[in-house]
Amino acid sequence: MEKALYNFLFIGRGLAITLQLLAGGFLIGVTIGTALAALRYNKICSPIIKGFVSLVRGTPLLLQLSLIYFSVPTLFGVKLSVLAAGVIAFGINSSAYVSEILRSGIESLPKGQFEAARTLGIPKYYMWKDIILPQAIANVLPALVNELIDLLKETALIATIGGMDVMRRSQVIAAEQFEYFIPLCMAGVYYYVLVLFIESIIRRIEKKKSYA
Amino acid sequence: MLKIRGACKSFNGVKILDDVSFDAAKGGVLGLAGPSGSGKSTLLRCVQKLETLDEGTIEYDGKTGFMFQDFQLFPHMTIMRNLLYAPSLKDKKKNHEKRARKILKDLGIEAKAEEYPNSLSGGQKQRAALARTLMIDPDLLLCDEPTSGLDVATIEDVILLLKSVNKTGVAMVIASHDLDFLTKISDRIILLKEGRINADVDLLKCNVIHFSNNDPIEYLKQYY
Repeated sequence: MEKALYNFLFIGRGLAITLQLLAGGFLIGVTIGTALAALRYNKICSPIIKGFVSLVRGTPLLLQLSLIYFSVPTLFGVKLSVLAAGVIAFGINSSAYVSEILRSGIESLPKGQFEAARTLGIPKYYMWKDIILPQAIANVLPALVNELIDLLKETALIATIGGMDVMRRSQVIAAEQFEYFIPLCMAGVYYYVLVLFIESIIRRIEKKKSYA
Repeated sequence: MLKIRGACKSFNGVKILDDVSFDAAKGGVLGLAGPSGSGKSTLLRCVQKLETLDEGTIEYDGKTGFMFQDFQLFPHMTIMRNLLYAPSLKDKKKNHEKRARKILKDLGIEAKAEEYPNSLSGGQKQRAALARTLMIDPDLLLCDEPTSGLDVATIEDVILLLKSVNKTGVAMVIASHDLDFLTKISDRIILLKEGRINADVDLLKCNVIHFSNNDPIEYLKQYY
């Protein structure tokens, strides 16, 4: 019993890495993804963004993570920590998905919302910031939450470049004690509880949505 | 003064506007009549520069305001914020709220200031949209089908409302398929059909010039 508690707490200490990756990755993902979604409507940027999104969605996240962690130091001479490489890789990857999610939200808005902003003389930046994106985000909130949950589970890939997250710690225990079932289930519990937690927060936010 | 010369516009090879030319006087109310697809909305949108003409010119030396058929209020903002948003971007220091309250009061929806558009009725939404447009001080108001989806009693209100706005010196061009409504509010009606001007009637002197039976609606109907 004492051993089980020790194992559980040992794995739990990986939450620090897992949550940092999740928060950092999602923050970058939403920030860049939002900008990409809006710039998609700019004639010059549109083909570049389309290419970027296609490339990111068309290659494995594991490959992107490895590329950033292992080849950035040799290409640019900058040594990245495991955490930094993870945040960048997950952030870039997530930005592509977030931009596509937001685009569907933007396209679901009536064209008249853009036109109304124009006829009132609202500058483009403010139109996006205060008129279009708030409505688009509200429209796709459930899909964005799915992306957050996907990202949480994907952070487990950090184990492949040596990040001591929840997943990696459960593997360490399993390898040390030749016992796979319990430690892996413990990791599963951590992930699952986190997902339930995220879902409960979002339910509260959705209830608060004051219009529509 | 609004000056339109040789306006042509096609969508996917279909001619929507076909060499339309006319002038509209300052301060007047011009009705654009015609069946749906006759080009009246397109013409209005070209005046507002929401569409560009293929050929021809539209000159206007003042500020236009546009009323959309489906209002296009911002649903995530209260009515008050709908009104204040654009003016406060232009002039950050000025407090626009007092003026907004006065306009809402004049239009009879002061009580709805803190509500969201979706809790308003069709007629109230239209008033709110009108109020939002008036906040940017237009001297020409372009109204696209202002009576669509409104019941008869509300249409009568709209007429009074637009007339009162016109009295403050705001000229109007109103596109509508509802001849009855247009004859009640306009001082001139241009009837479009298949993108061309089919009739141009000055209602202020219509009895003398155009109508044998003194009924502008009957007269216009033959061109409809």
